[in-house]
Amino acid sequence: MPGAAIRVVLQYGQILQYLPDFLVGAAMALWIAALAFAGGLMIGLFGAAVLTFGPWPARALVGAYVRFFTWTPQLVQIFFLFFALPEVGITLSPVTAVLIGMTLNAGAYLTEIERGGFASVPRAELEAAECMGFSRVQVVWHVIAPHVVRALYPALSNHYIIMTLGTSMAAIFGVEELTGRALNANAISFRSVEIFSLVAGIYILLTIIASTLLWLVGRWMFRIKAKVF
Amino acid sequence: MSAWDIIVMEAPRFFTWWNIRFLLQAVGNTLVASVLGCAIGYGFGFVLAALRLPQLVPFAPLRALCILWVETFRRIPFLVLLLLVFFLSQFAKLEAPLWTVAVAAVAIRMSALAAENIRAGLEAVRPMQWEAALVMNMPPWMALFRVILPQAWRVILPPSIAHVLSMVKETSLVSQIGFIEITFAAKMLTQRGFSALLTYGSALVLYFFVGWALAALGRWAERRLTSRSPASPPAALPLQTR
Repeated sequence: MPGAAIRVVLQYGQILQYLPDFLVGAAMALWIAALAFAGGLMIGLFGAAVLTFGPWPARALVGAYVRFFTWTPQLVQIFFLFFALPEVGITLSPVTAVLIGMTLNAGAYLTEIERGGFASVPRAELEAAECMGFSRVQVVWHVIAPHVVRALYPALSNHYIIMTLGTSMAAIFGVEELTGRALNANAISFRSVEIFSLVAGIYILLTIIASTLLWLVGRWMFRIKAKVF
Repeated sequence: MSAWDIIVMEAPRFFTWWNIRFLLQAVGNTLVASVLGCAIGYGFGFVLAALRLPQLVPFAPLRALCILWVETFRRIPFLVLLLLVFFLSQFAKLEAPLWTVAVAAVAIRMSALAAENIRAGLEAVRPMQWEAALVMNMPPWMALFRVILPQAWRVILPPSIAHVLSMVKETSLVSQIGFIEITFAAKMLTQRGFSALLTYGSALVLYFFVGWALAALGRWAERRLTSRSPASPPAALPLQTR
């Protein structure tokens, strides 16, 4: 076999020094995903409301937004924001570009998810709100939104965890979240297999802990008995 | 310079025969890598889902291993998985070409998603079907292929097309190891001096059309298949009738 003369041994001891660094990076991944998720949730609520109640031009516009951002990869969306926008004068920092890209992407997916939840609101409550003279905005905020959050809690938590895994592409832009720090450590120590297997393990633990916490919150605060992720 | 100025001025220089051919070849690479990876991944995912059936494999540690594989590779981001496969192939001195690494990463990822999907489809078939088949002395593998699967595949297919679409999008990350797919082609063209607005814009448009085709295929499959399936698809959300 070519190159078989050199014997390479896996040495995990050498990369343990990077572990605290990686754990901070994991927290950053959760934080970036949380910010983008919050923004996406608001966009999703607005978009789902437009798709359910709006006039057809608005529905066509929101539909086009949803289709564009769900059929194209998140990476290329962020590439466009980071590399193409400076040509028209809008220069974004890496973190900003990643956050905006992830928010817009999440908004599209969450619009679809929340639109399904809008259908789960009991008609009696909508009619009662209409009788009491609620405006459309008030109906969405006071009647629909609480129901939607409860009905969609498993789907929303699932998407949040998918987004946490999706933050790994921020490393390509130099953002110092978990994968970014792994690439830095790899550049310093060249222990690629050890570092990336360790980082994979950290992601697995992170998602297990996050999904368990979200499931517990769902059970205790919202009394939702569905499994998350 | 406004975006419109850039597009109008740069477009004739960008949309040459060579560039268009290059981008279309990249689209071909993307589709081949994702479809091949998805096919292999689906095959392997089917094996994983089948090995999880207690009727087929009454041996719990093997089932636990399959669950472990699926849960592990669902929870790793694709970029990390890709780099891990890349560096492992270097570590094992395999000297694999780039497309092999790409297809392997897509296949591993897809096997985890497919195993979950197929498991849901197999569980959607009424349990009586299994019991009836086993009581009639059919060997479990025959029961799986002749009784359960014909009923389950109508439930399995539509989400699978959505998974294929998501894998086509994830192949954009394969650009990071140098495999010439759409994103890498756009990056190469940007480095050659074309406007980033046009290169990444074209990449987005190309992915959009591929996604449109796959989404249309998925909607057609869902319309034609699930309405006639004897197995009921798993209910996603509580829907109150209006």
